[in-house]
Amino acid sequence: MKKFVNDPANFVPEMMEGLIMANPGKLKYVKEYNIIYRADLNPNDKVPIVQGSGSGHEPAHIMAVGKGMLDAAAPGNVFAAPPVDYAFECLKLMNSEKGVLYIVNNYQGDKMAWEMAKEMAEAEGIKVGAVVIDDDVAVENSTHTFGRRGVAGNFFAIKACGAASGNGASLEELVALGNKVNDNVRSMGVALSSCTPPAKGEPIFELGEDEIEVGVGIHGEPGRRRDKIKSADAIVEEIFDAVYKDLPFQSGDRVALMINGLGGTPISELYVLYRKAAQLCEGNGLKVVRNYVGEYCTSLEMAGVSLTLLKLDNELEELLAAPAECAIRVF
Amino acid sequence: MKTFDLHDVEAVVKSIANTAIANEKYFSDLDAAAGDADFGVSLATGFKVVLDKWEEYDRSSINAFLLKVSMVITGNVGGSSGPLWGTAFMRAGIKAKGKEEISLLDVASMMRSAIEGIMARGGAKVGDKTLIDGLIPVAEVFEQHAQDKDHTGVIAMATKAAEDAVETTKDWVAKRGRQSFTGERSAGTPDPGIVAIATIMKNLETVGQE
Repeated sequence: MKKFVNDPANFVPEMMEGLIMANPGKLKYVKEYNIIYRADLNPNDKVPIVQGSGSGHEPAHIMAVGKGMLDAAAPGNVFAAPPVDYAFECLKLMNSEKGVLYIVNNYQGDKMAWEMAKEMAEAEGIKVGAVVIDDDVAVENSTHTFGRRGVAGNFFAIKACGAASGNGASLEELVALGNKVNDNVRSMGVALSSCTPPAKGEPIFELGEDEIEVGVGIHGEPGRRRDKIKSADAIVEEIFDAVYKDLPFQSGDRVALMINGLGGTPISELYVLYRKAAQLCEGNGLKVVRNYVGEYCTSLEMAGVSLTLLKLDNELEELLAAPAECAIRVF
Repeated sequence: MKTFDLHDVEAVVKSIANTAIANEKYFSDLDAAAGDADFGVSLATGFKVVLDKWEEYDRSSINAFLLKVSMVITGNVGGSSGPLWGTAFMRAGIKAKGKEEISLLDVASMMRSAIEGIMARGGAKVGDKTLIDGLIPVAEVFEQHAQDKDHTGVIAMATKAAEDAVETTKDWVAKRGRQSFTGERSAGTPDPGIVAIATIMKNLETVGQE
């Protein structure tokens, strides 16, 4: 294993400290509970929105903390759910008169931690809302999940709820909005390689030199099948087809299209993939009104891609277009 | 009526932890008969951490203490048992909120809330042959006799009820949890979770007498 790492046990806190140092005055860090939050936040101005899942998916979700996005995140170790006390302390720290919303992906560990934290917080008189994202169409159950997994579609829930919260939406409205995003977003990924968590020191699964995993999960969970590598266009065709038919999307729909790199894929390749995805949207009568090409939800250094489609209405379109600032988008 | 303070609650938690650790092999062997043989190890590993951190817990109230313990259990007991057992302690802690001392009736309502929490978290129902079927008879004894018996009497009756539950549920087919994977094969084998409840109660008899 060759990685930029010191003591693997300190990998996550060192990343968090680096992020704080790179954004002086904008972010704060509670080391004891691994909570990162907006320095300029006045929790009573809006419903604060938090997230906390395993690390290793950056920029999801710590680097989505910023104005118009998340207000705090409390991640666990690489590919490990946050401990309950991180989630509980995060809810307490973000407690506001209007309540606090958490958005998590549908993984057993994450859900469990936040549900328990929610119960504890409610016993303290804190109002807590929950949105669970399960946009991955690849498999119904997996090693980490009952039901579908949550992947890059989560970004759209953060973006929409973040903007709506800034506009004064109530906790109940945000829960309904997050669920609306989840109801209208679908994703699927493909891996060209495995990845290696720093503390594990070896790849989480084996993939042959000429093999791909179709429908891979962001912790390397098995997808639909193993296949031989094929052309970029053929790969996009397969995952687009699965995503398109699942909702199902229909000719005339206005959509946001995301081509998300899983961590080890060059941006050049992502645009090769986007080209085909945009052509397929056009061919199927979908109007791409917003597009996203880059890394949003990764799996360490895994080479691979996921494709996400979100069906838009006027409300979602406006919320996605609203300005936002976060640590990784500084120009 | 006798009430119990944080000191007593600590003694109960310590006894449960010691029971889990002392019965590591016994619980795992039971689990091997119709499950995946890791229940005893999971439970013991987690409760060892509970004792390792013993001096660190917030002792400002029964509520705070039980919540801290619940988080350690959730994070350190392996598999699905962690969140389930953690939820039980968490629910008990939430019920004790605002109380410096608790009565046997309070204990009954803490147990009832713990049972509801486990069912909500894990999706098990009454009769699925999980630890729920061991806990309910125990809670019923506390509910029915909190006011007409002292705590040693209640614990003795609850222990008997838990031991009876091991026998009555033995021949059931597990519908949820570790044994359910083996379906019909689970009939005839006691559920390790129910046995764990009976063993914990048995050891609490000694604590109750002190």
